[in-house]
Order: sequence, then structure tokens, then C-alpha cells
Amino acid sequence: MANPPHVVAKQIGTGERATFLEERLRKRMRSLVWFTIALVLAVSFFFPLYIMVSSSFKAEEEVLTTPIHWFPEKFQGLEQYRKAFEVVPLLRFFFNSALMASIDVVVTVIFSALAGYGFAKFRFWGRRFFFFFVLSTMTVPFQILLVPLFIEVRNLGWDNSYAGLIIPGIMNAFGVFMMRQFAYAIPDELLDAARIDGASEPRIFWQVVFPLLAPASASLAVIIFLFSWNNFLWPLVVIKDQIYATIPVGITVFTQPHSAEPQWAVAMAVSTLATLPVALLFVFFQRYFIQGMVLSGLKG
Amino acid sequence: MYYSLTDFTLLRPPTWVGLGNFEALLKDRLFLKSVTVTLGFVLGTTLPVWIISLLAAAVFFQRFRGRETLKVLFFSPVLPSLVVVAIVWRVLLHPNGILTTLLRPLSGLGEINWLNDPTLSPITMILINDWTIIPFYMLIWLAGLSGLPPELLDAARVDGANWFQSFLRIQLPLLRPTAVFVATITTINAFQGFTLQYAISPGRGGPIDVNTTMGLLIWKYGFQFYRMGSASAVSVVLFALIMIVTAVQLLWSRGDQFSLN
Repeated sequence: MANPPHVVAKQIGTGERATFLEERLRKRMRSLVWFTIALVLAVSFFFPLYIMVSSSFKAEEEVLTTPIHWFPEKFQGLEQYRKAFEVVPLLRFFFNSALMASIDVVVTVIFSALAGYGFAKFRFWGRRFFFFFVLSTMTVPFQILLVPLFIEVRNLGWDNSYAGLIIPGIMNAFGVFMMRQFAYAIPDELLDAARIDGASEPRIFWQVVFPLLAPASASLAVIIFLFSWNNFLWPLVVIKDQIYATIPVGITVFTQPHSAEPQWAVAMAVSTLATLPVALLFVFFQRYFIQGMVLSGLKG
Repeated sequence: MYYSLTDFTLLRPPTWVGLGNFEALLKDRLFLKSVTVTLGFVLGTTLPVWIISLLAAAVFFQRFRGRETLKVLFFSPVLPSLVVVAIVWRVLLHPNGILTTLLRPLSGLGEINWLNDPTLSPITMILINDWTIIPFYMLIWLAGLSGLPPELLDAARVDGANWFQSFLRIQLPLLRPTAVFVATITTINAFQGFTLQYAISPGRGGPIDVNTTMGLLIWKYGFQFYRMGSASAVSVVLFALIMIVTAVQLLWSRGDQFSLN
């Protein structure tokens, strides 16, 4: 005999509930599997940096011991950091790097915005040719330019000085290209309205165009900072004296020669300090950071 | 360009030697070695980075709890400069270093000479380099994945495709521009391998020059031996190599596209 109607209804109810729970469980499981894979990836890629930071708080003899000390057992506080400033003129390196990076950032952002705006919104003779010209400088790898650029800087008498360190890197075709893309999106009507109101062209740039380019400028600024802060090859060849050395060049004393070993805990403290500004920038401006990186396609 | 045709040591003004520098390079064993070293480094970088960064992006594209935190941790190797990377890995790969100690039970041989073994050392360079750049290209892939219309995936799911099928059949073909971009940029960057080799290989480019890339050779000739002519000649050859390989890649990927349409 067939079940009475209310029993059927109840059975369907529990059946649906079961599949619903089953579905939720499956989803949970799937998300757990992805989480586990991602955890393995994250841990294995973060591992060396964890060792860097944790070793900077260890005692020297703890860095290279068996069995491994996963945590600093003889916690040193900031002792290794204090030593770091004695072993190398770290303050000087930081000052030089900060000087180079801030000039690079400010000049690149302002001039890229100006040039990008010009290429996007004004018609002038040779516009396409000049833009192509700017772009073509982007396709030449820096190593190819190294020797001629060095000779040019040397002829100007700028080698081993702040001028030689900073000026050649001050403009960047990528910035112009990126800003042009963003300036294109600014509606012409807005600019025309400002012109009708009698605003001068410089005023239009500073009060209308530049604020609209602010998010793009932030991304550009972050990426130029990263590039400048971590730049190695150019400072390496152009600077001879330690007083002009940037951080990456200054800390090469911890890399060579292999016959002489540095104090490892101090080396880890220096490495941590050198990475700190970039890490902070990444944490606080993640959105701009990631956008800048994706747009530039460059790893400094 | 001009300097590659001259004999120029910075002390005297350049003298014209025509193609002499290039002829000399052809007989220069260090140069010929640097070409193979560079090509090896490029091969070891491009394909593994392309594949692993794509797979990692596929993982971080899924929804799960804690995704953002894990992504930040995964991304962290991109931040330090390559000199810092070199210092940190010198500690990890030290004969008493943590990574060496961890791998000792696996290797069974005891000592692993990461940096001083002529066969192992170039592989070590590739491993370290790939570690620093994979997260960055993961980000590029991820941006590409997020740019795809989500309706497509939903449609595939309704049709009963599992994630692997939809990944392989729907997302990957649509990501062709990203795929070409990642392939060319990794290649161009790998051809310029310099900092890591300079900083971490014993004696800058050793042992026995197995890590002397063309980029490192430009620096050696130009700024260690002050042979600006030879350095320029190496630059010109490097530039030509990069141009040819990139052009082949682009033509190949475009040809592929035409045959598909």
C-alpha cells in the first residue's frame, strides 16, 4: 500500500535536507583541500624570509646549529640590529637609498603625468613619432645601455657622485606610457569646461588632471620606489666610495668572498632592515602595489 | 653601439677596430661559455616559472577561508632585493644551514655542495631565482583570471564540468594574452640574469665560470678589466639574442592563434 500523503511529504523533506547537508559538506571539504594546498605553497615560499627575520633575533652561534633552532632560544632583542650599524655604515646607506628613491619617485610621477597627459590630450606635430620614440626606449634592456651610459656619465664627470647615481634613472618611459593610458580616460568635456571658465593650462593640469590621475600616480609611485630601492646594477658600477653607496650595493660585503664568513645574525638583521620599507609599503598600500606591479610587468 | 667597434679602456680615447671585438669574442672561450650559461639559465627559468605560477594562481583563484593571508605570505619573496635574497640563501644553503640540515636525511650523502659544485650550482641559481619571481607571475595570472567573465565558469559548472576541466578548457584558452606576456617577460628578464650570480656564486660567476652569465660578463669586461669595447660587443650580442628569441616567441604564438581561428 502506498504511503499516505503526509508521510511522502516528510520523506522528501528529509531527503532534501540530506542532500543539502551533503552539498555543504562537500563544499567545506573542497575549500579545506584548497586551503591545505595554499598553506603548503605559502609556507614553503615564506620559509626563507621567516628564517631571515627569526635569525636576526638569535645569538650568532644559534644561526647554524644542528638541531635547528626554529625560534631564537637565546633571544637577543635588538642587539644584532645595534651591531649591524657598527659593522657597516648602514645609516649612510639608508640615507642614500632614501634620497635616490624619493627623487626618482617625485620626478618620475610628475613628469610622467605631464608627458602622459600631453600625449593623450594634445595634438601636435610628430606626436605619434615621439610617443613611439619614448616607447622604444622601454624595449631596450638596461644591461645593453650599461656601458654607453657609464661612459656618458663619466664624460660629464658625474661618476662616483649623487648626480651620476640619480640623474640617469630619473625618467622612465613606462611611467609615460602608463599615465597616457589613464589620461585618455579623462573626458574632454571636463577639460573644455575648465578652459571656458578661463583656467590656464598649468592650472588645468594641477587642479583637474593631476587629481584625477592620483590613483594611477600612487601605483606608479609605489612601483618606482620598489624599483629604485632594490636597484643594483647601476649603483654598483657608478659608485666607487662607500659614502655614496645605496643599501643593495653597500650590503654586498655580506655576500662575498666565500672564504670569509660574516657574522650571520648581523647579516640577517641587515637583510631584514633593508626589506622593511618595501614590506611596510606592501602592507599599507597593497592595492596600489599590486596594481602597479601588474601594470608594469617588471620585477625590480 | 659605437663602442663595440672600438678598443677602449677608458684611459685612452677609443680607437677604431671595426669588427675586431666580435671576432675576438668568437674565439673567447669565456664568452662562448657565458652564452651556454645564459641559455641554461633562461631554460631553467621560463618553463618552470610559467607552469608553477599558473598552477599557484589556479589555487589562489579558488574561494577558501584565509586566502588573503596565505596569498600575502606566498607573495613575500617578491619584496626583498636580490642582494638580500642572496644573503639569506647563503645562510640557508650553508653546509650547516637550515635547508642543508633539513635535506640531509633525504640526500643520504651528507654534504650537499649547493654553491661550489659545478653541476649543482647553476641549478641552485635557477631554484633561488624561480623562488623570487614565481609569486610575481602568479599575480599576473591571477589578474588575468579575475578579468574573465564569471558567467563562463558558472555555465561550465551547470554543464557539470569539474574545476580541472573548466580550468583547462575555458580559462586557459582565454588567457592566451597573459600566457604570451608571461612567457616573453620571463625570457627577457632571464637573459639579463646578473645580480644573483654576482652576489651568491663563489668568486662572482664561479665555480669555474659555470655561473658567468652574459650580463655578468658585461660587468666583468667593462668594470673589472675596463675593456669597454669587449663589454659593448657582449651587450650587442645579448641584445640581438633577446630580440631574436622574443620575436620567435611572438610570431609563434600569433601563428598558433591564426591556425586556431
